[in-house]
Amino acid sequence: MPSTRPTRKATALKAAPALAKKATPEPTKKAVVAPKSKKRTVEEARDDSEDEFGEVAIDMASDDDEEDMDGDDESDGAEDFPEEGEEGQDMSAADLEEDEDEDSEGSYMDGDSIVDSQEELDEEDVEDDEESDFDDLVEDDIDPNFGHNLNEPLAPESDYNPIIREYPEIDPVYDSDSSTEENENTVGNIPMHWYDDYPHIGYDINGKKIMRPATGDELDKFLSTMDDPDSWLSAHNYKEGQDVKLSAEELEIIRRLEGNRIPDADYNPYEDQVEFFSSKTEIMPLSAAPEPKRRFIPSKHEAKRIMKIVRAIREGRIVPRKSGYVPPKPKYYNLWNDAEDKPREEHVMHITAPKMKLPTHDESYNPPAEYLPTEEEIKEWNEMDKEDRPKNYLPQKYNALRNVPGYGQFIQERFERCLDLYLAPRVRKNRLNIDPESLIPKLPSPRDLQPFPTRLAIEFLGHEGRVRSISVDPTGLWMASGSDDKTVRIWEISTGRCMATYYLDELVTSVVWGPNKEVAVLAVACGYKVGLILPEKLFSPELALHTEEYLKAGFASVTTGEPNPKAQWKQPTPAEFEKGIRVWVHLQKPVKQVTWHRKGDYFSTVAPDANNSAKTKGAVQRVMFHPTKPMFFVATQRYVRQYNLQRQELVKTMQTGVKWISSLDVHPAGDNLIIGSYDKRLCWFDLDLSSKPYKTLRYHQQAIRSVAYHKRYPLFASCADDGNVQIFHGMVYNDLLQNPLIVPVKILKNVHQRVDALGALCVEWHPTQPWLISSGADHTIKLFS
Amino acid sequence: MDAIADGPQVQVKFVTQQRQFAIPETAIQTPARLRRYGLSQIINLVLQNEGEKQRPFDFLIDGEFLRTSLAEYLEEKNMSTENVLTIEYVESMLPPTPLSSYEHDDWVSAVQAHHPGGFLTGSYDNHVRLWNKQAECTQILTGHNGAVKAVQWLTSDGDNGTLLSGALDRSILAWEYNHADNSHSILYECRGHTGGVESISLNATGDKFASGSADATIKIWTNIIPTVSDHIEDVTETRKKRKTVKEDRILKAPISSLNAHTGPVSAVTFSSTSADTLYSGGWDHSVRVWDIENSVNITTKNCEKVVHALDYSQHSGLLASGHADPVIRLWDPRSEDSSVVKQTLSGHQNWVTSVSWSPSSSYMLASGSYDGLIKVWDIRAKGALYTLSHGKASKKVFSIDWSNDILLSGGEDNQMKIHKVQDMTDRAEA
Repeated sequence: MPSTRPTRKATALKAAPALAKKATPEPTKKAVVAPKSKKRTVEEARDDSEDEFGEVAIDMASDDDEEDMDGDDESDGAEDFPEEGEEGQDMSAADLEEDEDEDSEGSYMDGDSIVDSQEELDEEDVEDDEESDFDDLVEDDIDPNFGHNLNEPLAPESDYNPIIREYPEIDPVYDSDSSTEENENTVGNIPMHWYDDYPHIGYDINGKKIMRPATGDELDKFLSTMDDPDSWLSAHNYKEGQDVKLSAEELEIIRRLEGNRIPDADYNPYEDQVEFFSSKTEIMPLSAAPEPKRRFIPSKHEAKRIMKIVRAIREGRIVPRKSGYVPPKPKYYNLWNDAEDKPREEHVMHITAPKMKLPTHDESYNPPAEYLPTEEEIKEWNEMDKEDRPKNYLPQKYNALRNVPGYGQFIQERFERCLDLYLAPRVRKNRLNIDPESLIPKLPSPRDLQPFPTRLAIEFLGHEGRVRSISVDPTGLWMASGSDDKTVRIWEISTGRCMATYYLDELVTSVVWGPNKEVAVLAVACGYKVGLILPEKLFSPELALHTEEYLKAGFASVTTGEPNPKAQWKQPTPAEFEKGIRVWVHLQKPVKQVTWHRKGDYFSTVAPDANNSAKTKGAVQRVMFHPTKPMFFVATQRYVRQYNLQRQELVKTMQTGVKWISSLDVHPAGDNLIIGSYDKRLCWFDLDLSSKPYKTLRYHQQAIRSVAYHKRYPLFASCADDGNVQIFHGMVYNDLLQNPLIVPVKILKNVHQRVDALGALCVEWHPTQPWLISSGADHTIKLFS
Repeated sequence: MDAIADGPQVQVKFVTQQRQFAIPETAIQTPARLRRYGLSQIINLVLQNEGEKQRPFDFLIDGEFLRTSLAEYLEEKNMSTENVLTIEYVESMLPPTPLSSYEHDDWVSAVQAHHPGGFLTGSYDNHVRLWNKQAECTQILTGHNGAVKAVQWLTSDGDNGTLLSGALDRSILAWEYNHADNSHSILYECRGHTGGVESISLNATGDKFASGSADATIKIWTNIIPTVSDHIEDVTETRKKRKTVKEDRILKAPISSLNAHTGPVSAVTFSSTSADTLYSGGWDHSVRVWDIENSVNITTKNCEKVVHALDYSQHSGLLASGHADPVIRLWDPRSEDSSVVKQTLSGHQNWVTSVSWSPSSSYMLASGSYDGLIKVWDIRAKGALYTLSHGKASKKVFSIDWSNDILLSGGEDNQMKIHKVQDMTDRAEA
């Protein structure tokens, strides 16, 4: 039904003028009945929304004026009745308000119409929103298909009226209308066998019986059929009670019906569609209807509605907007917006997903030739395990983008990516943005810390064994060295000349010059004894004499009284005396170290094997007198203890944190000391600061053998079995609050060759010059300046 | 001069202070690529020296030796090639040639040459030796008890002469020798030092000498031969055997002692112009100028290094010092600044233990070092002019002496080496 509607509507429109030309349209029962039924359906469809209209429509439909029907067709089928003066074309408006202004033509309808209007007006207050839509609704829903030509004799129910067909001009004479025949049966569409028992077959329009025409019997019928060759062309009209001969046109129609064709041969079911509702703006509109009157007069309805609003405003039900009101700007949403474009609000827990790596050249569909794999590479790639492949694709070349097939791994890769994002925890790493350079303590440049020894100046050659110990005399002119070749040699420092050699009977483990400048005495530890040597030739007679007296006094002071079994002082043999040896002190264990008191009045020896270590708790490695105070330092394997000699008590124990102390030296100011250890560490202790090391330096590759402070310059040095000597600037400030400054200034590499896993064995500073002297297992002594 | 055409040209003007080589002072167009040799050829060409008479020249631009080509020099100095370049030329010093080597028994610690008298060496075997030019040891003076560290000629006239020697036995001995009867004797013993004598220097007039010692003192002695011993308080003399050795010697006491040094005094040298001005250097890193007449330390100059050697040049008035580092420092003793080094000469690899100015030139200097090398310097040039090997590699050189055309050196290899150096007296400014 809906698909055919436009066509039918058009048909009606086209038909309208044709009908209008008929001066007197002939109302037939058929014509009345058919539209009525149509109208009913429409009315039923509209009942839900508006009852009044339905009623009106029925009333209207009962009207037998053809023109009105046409008008309804075009207009909305509302209860708008055309004025008399107008042609049948009047397109009445749907607006109900106008009813009041217009004179209602159909007088018998007036009452209804007025009632309707009244009712509607009452309702208007209730429903004002829906009403505005009403015209459209009516216009759409009303099917105006009731104005077609009803002259078709044999298609009483036919809706279709050929449009293009030219009808024969009807001559408007009196007998041209068949409806004027007298014997018109008016029984209607009833089964005619109801009249079988009666002599009549119905009634004419005047109520008189129409008598059954006389019919012959079967024989007559047979004869007549035999007589009349056209008898098969006749049909029996039950209403008339007689046979009617079918014309050629009627026969044609029957034939077509039997063939399931459209009865009218001229009818074209596929006519061109009239673009009735199209985008094209017609210059000449299809409808030439003049503008209705209501278009030119103010609408009462609108005025009413306006008044309603005005009333509402007056009563305060509607508050008008302020004058400065700016309507909010329309919001637009980017449909294709990516989530990343939106600035996400900051949140500590939110970590944006890492971005995918951008594709590179070899992922192009048309990569440069150098990216394309060779045969071998393809083969290798294919043979490789999937996990081992550096990339999970091979670069491929296609002539055009449209030749590129779908990527098989796409889903898999997206899935893995999602899996990664979901399962791999993203951790916010607080990366410290610190310049590593700034963490390094600001140390002065070694260039600014000169002087310190930098290069080899003199080699002292002559020893034939490891040089265990060296010592420079207080004047700085002479150096003594003790060696495993059982000799003590004395050297002229400025030239490297060996000035004297003392041959002893044991390995010389330690040589130390007496610190007193008034006395020239060299203490030599050699096996189980300590010798005191006066190198007479090198010193002035006055000094030598002074030394003699000094030694004699010392000897006398020791030997008088109880002889100490642990240390027995003995006079040397005359031969030894001639060589310069003045005193022998015999001990019970091998002596490893001799050290002088700062004034040269006492000296101390260390024999680690003499294990009377109830107090010392471990073998004593080194001992040292305090340079200014009556203090004494004892280094055992792991600890350095400071004793007060006057009070004979332990002052302090320093925990070195090393495994085995090898060497010890006290700063000339007495507040700092350094130790070297066999486990490669050098520890600097600030005695005022803590019992823990102030600094632990680990520069050497091998065990440290010896450490030494310079007596005048802020320097200290260490030597180790790796044959290297390290020189440090170690400035101790008078300001107690300022910590010592330790700067490595020089590494003297491979000073001594390694012999039997021993390298440099002893370092000693020149007492007045920034010269360093080191001795090693390679039998040499070297001076650096 | 054929190849003059190619390359850029420079206008040069040659000047000289050596009159015998003077050429007209006109600007000459020369190729910029010329080096010393090419320029030298030009001079010889102008002087019309040919064959044997050709001499090599050195060229000075703004007091600096030309060691590259002219073009490179100009480029380095960003100088224009348009201007006239004034080049001073001097006769080039010929490389020293080793003459001979005198064998000793021990390290040679002190050498000094004297023209008529031959050479004087002190050695670590406690002997002082006299040599003639035929490499014969004419005299061996024995009497020291320690290594001889300093020797000094006093007089010498052929066969006879007197000399001084200082040693580690803290004494200075004055000797007299006579080649004719091959005899020598100790004139007197200077006693007073308590440390080894490191250096002896005779003053310009020859009436005094000074000695520097490891006991940090400088002592001034007269050059008069005493007839009787000065009275010296010596605590040791009372009962030591040493007394017997020294009985026959006449002892001499110093006339004054300069005690400002705080470390061993390793070098003393008199000014050759002023008899009363003494320069000294020591282990206290100072170079001191003394007025010995008043025993006053006039100025003190300090550096960072131990002073090992000093020499004063009468021509340039500069003091050269060798140190316990590889640098030779030149001082202007007249300046009052305490630590301004006028110039440094670098090139040695080890301590410089001896320096000696050329007796005739104000620019030439020789130095000996513990790296076993002797270097001859022209203080106008950047590097050393010549490097001579004393002996075996890295054998220390203890002492050198440049006297006239002879350069003596003594060192650890027990040798005294003699090098023939070109007599540069005529190089001096006219």
